[in-house]
Amino acid sequence: MNREQTNENMLAVRNLKVVFPMAHGVIRAVEGVDLDIKKGESVALVGESGCGKSVTSKSLMKLLDTPPALMRVDDITLDGESLKDYSEKKMQDIRGRHMSMIFQDAMTSLNPVMTCGRQIDEMYMRHQGMDKKEARKHTIRALELVGVPEPKSRARNFPHELSGGMRQRVLLAMAFACMPKLIIADEPTTALDVTIQAQVLDVLRDMQRTHGVSLLLITHDLSVVSNIAETVYVMYSGKIVEKAPMKELFRTPYHPYSEGLLKSVPKLSDEGKQFVQIPGSVPHPMKKPSGCYFHPRCPYATEECRQSMPPLEKRGEDRLVRCFHPLKHDAKEAKTA
Amino acid sequence: MKKSYIVKRILYSVFIFFVVLTLNFFIPRIGVDDPAERYYPPQGNMSDAEYEIIKELTREQYGFDVSTPRQYLNYLSDLFLEGNMGTSFRSGSPAVTDLIIDRLPWTLVLSVSTLLLGLIVGILIGVVAAMKRGRWQDTMLLNASTIMVALPAFFIALVFSFFLGFEAELFPAYTNPDMVSDFSWSLDSLRMVAYNAALPVISMAFGSIIGYAQGTRNAVIAVTGEDFILTARSKGLKPNAIRYKHTLRNAMLPIVTSLGMSISGLIGGQVVIEQIFNWHGMGTLFLEANNTNDYPLMMGIMLLLSAFTIVAILVTDLIYVLLDPRVTVGEKR
Repeated sequence: MNREQTNENMLAVRNLKVVFPMAHGVIRAVEGVDLDIKKGESVALVGESGCGKSVTSKSLMKLLDTPPALMRVDDITLDGESLKDYSEKKMQDIRGRHMSMIFQDAMTSLNPVMTCGRQIDEMYMRHQGMDKKEARKHTIRALELVGVPEPKSRARNFPHELSGGMRQRVLLAMAFACMPKLIIADEPTTALDVTIQAQVLDVLRDMQRTHGVSLLLITHDLSVVSNIAETVYVMYSGKIVEKAPMKELFRTPYHPYSEGLLKSVPKLSDEGKQFVQIPGSVPHPMKKPSGCYFHPRCPYATEECRQSMPPLEKRGEDRLVRCFHPLKHDAKEAKTA
Repeated sequence: MKKSYIVKRILYSVFIFFVVLTLNFFIPRIGVDDPAERYYPPQGNMSDAEYEIIKELTREQYGFDVSTPRQYLNYLSDLFLEGNMGTSFRSGSPAVTDLIIDRLPWTLVLSVSTLLLGLIVGILIGVVAAMKRGRWQDTMLLNASTIMVALPAFFIALVFSFFLGFEAELFPAYTNPDMVSDFSWSLDSLRMVAYNAALPVISMAFGSIIGYAQGTRNAVIAVTGEDFILTARSKGLKPNAIRYKHTLRNAMLPIVTSLGMSISGLIGGQVVIEQIFNWHGMGTLFLEANNTNDYPLMMGIMLLLSAFTIVAILVTDLIYVLLDPRVTVGEKR
């Protein structure tokens, strides 16, 4: 996390588009997304279900099945290396080695008929050419690092023999096995209950910081974001609508959608008040509205918003917002805690 | 934990076997007033007294001269101490066990080769179809399965027997009886068995191959959609490592189940197929027993079938424990 290092980008994505041609039309899942993740930085990509977060994360590793999906990107660079034209074969050497992924549901993301240890061994055997014995030694160390007690015997357990939290730690150990440059965590704690969530997040954050791994965290959970992320991208219906440093976003959201998301997090001090939610739901990806995709749900929408899509514009240092009427925050007016 | 599961399964199987054994013994005795009359129907030129003597002798010979519970005990002791399943009503009073031992290997020749052919070719085709999902290879398998549903094996057997057997004379349309009577463990003899078995095996293998291919294809496609395959891909594993270590290993589970089911059918013999090719096997034996009201022989065959089915299910369950570590957990809870 040295200052001079953070100026360089670990991951830079330019104009990522993913569409799914269907019988009745085209689903535009991701529409021209730009992402920048600095070295050692942790970035969150936030949005409701169906806004294209997971598709974005999978397409970064080129894991989308490309008969149904079509992916276009101006450029993806990982640590200065352009992955845009990499073949599937070359991507196989990148995946796991330089870029790895943590999935949401550890129960279904681990092979049920293979021991947990064996599934981590595979990483070392594949990418570092180790034999079984040597790989197992590293696996046990990796499990130890993510706080699995008795890693030696846990490694011999099958996924169903471990608790949810332990399984998620196994996924963490797997993702960190080869100390990649970037880890993409797709809703890593959604399937866990709250206390376990906190533990697993702590492990993830500690591992990420001590080893200087860049992190892209995909989530819809703003408490997770506030826990771990330095920069936040807010995504809505396939487009980035706001980018801001985490603290600034929480204090002064510019986009009405970001404001809505923040307001809809219940707080203890809200007792007795009605639960705030954004009216309506994410538009169907085949029937996106005209103009700004958010205008049907937006309390501030004007005729201009109905007519045309606002551009993603710079507003203040390190902040971007896609809105004709970004929220104004007077010194004391900010409502967020 | 694993050991207790295995012991439990074995004890359970033994219990089921005894239930089957008992039912198998008593059911034929329901409604039959005098088995001797079945065996030896009254003849016109015989006086009642003479007929009584003959019936008396028959009862003695087949052990019907004692009470039914006593007969049951005798049956059990004969079966377990001597492996004697009774005496057939056939002329010459051959032992049921001998009759079965004479036929069983011939049925196994057909059924085991059909099963192996179906399993190996079927799984290969299934994996290819799953990999080429939606392409012509897959479509062809789908069409073939649709046709096979409408085409029973005996129909294929008749067609083959006629065109490849009688018309083209490529293979015998009808088993040569010398195959059985002159059998020896020589190359010529084995070649003759293969030559005679060709048509019945091919006719039965069609359905078997298509069945396993379709099952494998569906299982592989289902597993390919699982999250852990995405995990394996995100680890950068090579496609072959994913296919064999992750996909197939999981896709084998449902195939093992259907394999267990078909193992139990191995010794039953294909009654109709064996009949078409006049094959010297269990199927024809059972048909003969049925047509001649040969109860001891039918009981023997039924008992063997049940025992084999029970063992097949037991073995399937135990293989499952090896393949799927989650199985024992269900027992524990």
